[in-house]
Amino acid sequence: MIKFLAAYRPLIDLFLLQSGYALSQYIVLRAGVFSIASAGLAAIGAYVAALLTMRLGLSPILSIPIGAVAGLASALLISWPLARLRGVYQAIATLAFVQIVLSLNLYAEAVTGGAMGLNGIPSLVGTWTLLPVLIGVGYVVTAVNANKLGRAFEAMRQDEAVAASLGVSVTLNQSIAFGLSGAIAGLYGGLEAFHSYALEPNQFGFAFVVATLSYVVFGGRRSVLGPIIGTAVLVALPELARPLAENRTLAYGVLLMLVINFMPRGIVDSLLEYVHRRRMARP
Amino acid sequence: MWEAFDVGLPDQAAGRAMIAQQLLNGLVSGGVYALFALGFTLVFGLHGILNLAHGGVLMAGAFIAYYTVQAGLPLALGLVLAIIGGGLLSVLLEFTAFRRLRRSGEVEFGAIISSIGANLVLVTIAQRISHTQVMRFPFGTFPIVIYQFLGVRVSALQLFMAACSLVLVVILTFCLYRTGAGRQIRAVASNERAAVLVGTNPNAVYFQTFFLSGALAGAAGVLVGLAFNSIHFMMGEPYLLRGFVVIILGGLGSVPGAMLGSLLFGMIQTLTIAYLPSGLTDAIIYSILFLILLVRPNGLLGKPAAGVMRGRR
Amino acid sequence: MTTLVLDHVTKRFGGLVATNDVSLAIPPARITGVIGPNGAGKTTIVNLITGMLPLTAGAIRLGGRDLTHAAAHEVGRAGIARTFQNIRLLREASVADNIMVGFHRHEAVSVTASLFGLPSARRETARIRVRTQALLERFGMQRFADHPAGALAYGHQRRVEMMRALATEPDILILDEPVAGMNDVEARELGDIFEDLARSGMGIMLIEHNMRFVMRLCANIFVLDGGRLIAEGPPDAIAADPAVITAYLGI
Ligand SMILES: Nc1ncnc2c1ncn2[C@@H]1O[C@H](COP(=O)(O)OP(=O)(O)O)[C@@H](O)[C@H]1O
Ligand SMILES: [Mg+2]
Repeated sequence: MIKFLAAYRPLIDLFLLQSGYALSQYIVLRAGVFSIASAGLAAIGAYVAALLTMRLGLSPILSIPIGAVAGLASALLISWPLARLRGVYQAIATLAFVQIVLSLNLYAEAVTGGAMGLNGIPSLVGTWTLLPVLIGVGYVVTAVNANKLGRAFEAMRQDEAVAASLGVSVTLNQSIAFGLSGAIAGLYGGLEAFHSYALEPNQFGFAFVVATLSYVVFGGRRSVLGPIIGTAVLVALPELARPLAENRTLAYGVLLMLVINFMPRGIVDSLLEYVHRRRMARP
Repeated sequence: MWEAFDVGLPDQAAGRAMIAQQLLNGLVSGGVYALFALGFTLVFGLHGILNLAHGGVLMAGAFIAYYTVQAGLPLALGLVLAIIGGGLLSVLLEFTAFRRLRRSGEVEFGAIISSIGANLVLVTIAQRISHTQVMRFPFGTFPIVIYQFLGVRVSALQLFMAACSLVLVVILTFCLYRTGAGRQIRAVASNERAAVLVGTNPNAVYFQTFFLSGALAGAAGVLVGLAFNSIHFMMGEPYLLRGFVVIILGGLGSVPGAMLGSLLFGMIQTLTIAYLPSGLTDAIIYSILFLILLVRPNGLLGKPAAGVMRGRR
Repeated sequence: MTTLVLDHVTKRFGGLVATNDVSLAIPPARITGVIGPNGAGKTTIVNLITGMLPLTAGAIRLGGRDLTHAAAHEVGRAGIARTFQNIRLLREASVADNIMVGFHRHEAVSVTASLFGLPSARRETARIRVRTQALLERFGMQRFADHPAGALAYGHQRRVEMMRALATEPDILILDEPVAGMNDVEARELGDIFEDLARSGMGIMLIEHNMRFVMRLCANIFVLDGGRLIAEGPPDAIAADPAVITAYLGI
């Protein structure tokens, strides 16, 4: 067991980090907000946390939560214009946000290190920090699903007019979902900064968007387990099938196409639905 | 470009010539954006599919032309092959990435995911073929001739690009608004079920729109490759991202809007590059996009998306 | 008590006047019918009341409250619930979950409590579950509680919509053709429930094609034709009104 852990430590850490991003993406989709802003929000959290510690000497115990708050605040700030948009327009506007963060990041070289990024961030976050944090975030997301907010999100996702007719304020609830997503993204940005010594603007670009979307689509968009399992499989895939490793992106692409076409609900939700139907059919 | 001032030319005349020069450059690159964006917006406007593999088709067009020229064949043939190849590739995408989704309820979301996957496939294959190298057309593929006109410099390549864009856009507009096929396309777009009832084959219509869309992107790829003399597997991505700005500027799904948006975008881009800190170009462009969406949630010429509840607010 | 009042309401779609200077009142504790041929503008009125469409002119009030410019969710919170003519369920969610969303406006749970799954939020959810059971029993739908709503038969889907609307405990319930496509037995069952609800104080606006059904249940009936109100009165007066007979029989 210990040996296994040691050998697969980097992979496990990667899974624990990416799962956080996947949950940030999941929570907005869950509420029917087609945002892909998590990349930009994670960048904000990561840089805020890293800079607070590197430049101002703040302890990471403070700077990581401040990074999460920065993610939350940025998300709430842009949720106001986003609330006026729907569907692909939301997706495109949030993609623009990701690009704005990216290019400002490159431009403000004096502060952010520009294209070189930040190096020598103290590496203080490991598996034993990431694991409890993921459990905590997973708990919050599960709680949301099981309570008032989750019911409102589900209604908005499936039919906005119905949700509104029942007294659900779509604007307010979309902002809550967006803020929660921003807080999670910011938190994980900070964790990643203190996990991997270095930050670089392009790690929060279009590839990030594609990866997090893939986790959620592959795993499923309803149950909380969806994004987690999706991340686990996609992170482990190149390891499980060595020949796949060098064709990783190709396999990723084919897999995305296959899943969305043939199992559009993702593996977890399809499975749960199958089990549920079996149980219903029984006399 | 600030040199004009340094050598002490009369300020005003030099300034005016320079702005004219920038606007011209902007118009030319705007024309190329139009080629790319028209197909992008056409497919969305008609079928509600946001094809994120469209940048991959552009890249494929450039690759096809490059390898044609490498094989010792003329550039003109390369352009034709890129147009046909781009069209066919796009049709293949429709077949593999979108056809099944059309029958499911969530085309919009599904199409985005599916085309992201398709784009990854295209990009990876191109990366393999090119060994991750940046490729350049052999010297002299396109003659370097520069005309001087009222203080404005125009290269033969720019004239060629402008001409290509113009001709292809005119052909597309003609196909769409003046032919029976165009009428069928628009019929299927407005109501697929009704169009089927009167005997239109929607699959044929999808074939046509995707072919047109891909053909234009293929041509755009060749022009982009020539303009920057740089061809690489990632070259589609910036165009895809800017394509979003362009079609939002004009209004998603609006063909005239995309043309207007492209020209506007080309000029905004050259002007910001010329007069503002170069690192800020992208930030400014995407901020403009964000602001436009803020004021007009459906773009400049766009109509509200169907089925969206707007309510009283 | 809270009466819903439409005061000279007009709605234009481009050149088409879908609602033309309509004034009507839906009082509490009674079933008020709104009838009229297809395209008369009945659903448009529902959409105007519920904040789904902006008014061209006129005003809408509930009790003392002006709802003319209220957004859809504000109308819902003010105590007006509706069903949709073309059934709109959360098709992927179970029947019970569909109904549970309906309680939203009565859930006094803070965002924090909901985020962290605090006991107050969990108690509220448990309480709602019990009340959902009660609604299911009232409509005889207990055995479908865990079925996905989208998979139910048409008549059952209509019932789910009604239960969901009732979950909001509205002062005014608007039913847009609630028994369309049902047989007489099913319709009678639902009619009994509507009468029960009215007795308990709820104001019901019943939009229906089935004349017999409307005549039996309604205390007062408004007749629309071409967006205009052509008659108002108790059932027997309406049945004898020549304008109504013309509109319906096209004489
Ligand atoms: N959103 C809309 N845009 C344009 N016309 C509409 C809209 N909604 C309804 N109408 C028109 O208004 C008229 C009344 O429709 P409706 O209220 O649905 O009638 P009813 O419910 O009485 O059958 C019809 O002619 C219909 O075509
Ligand atoms: Mg109607």
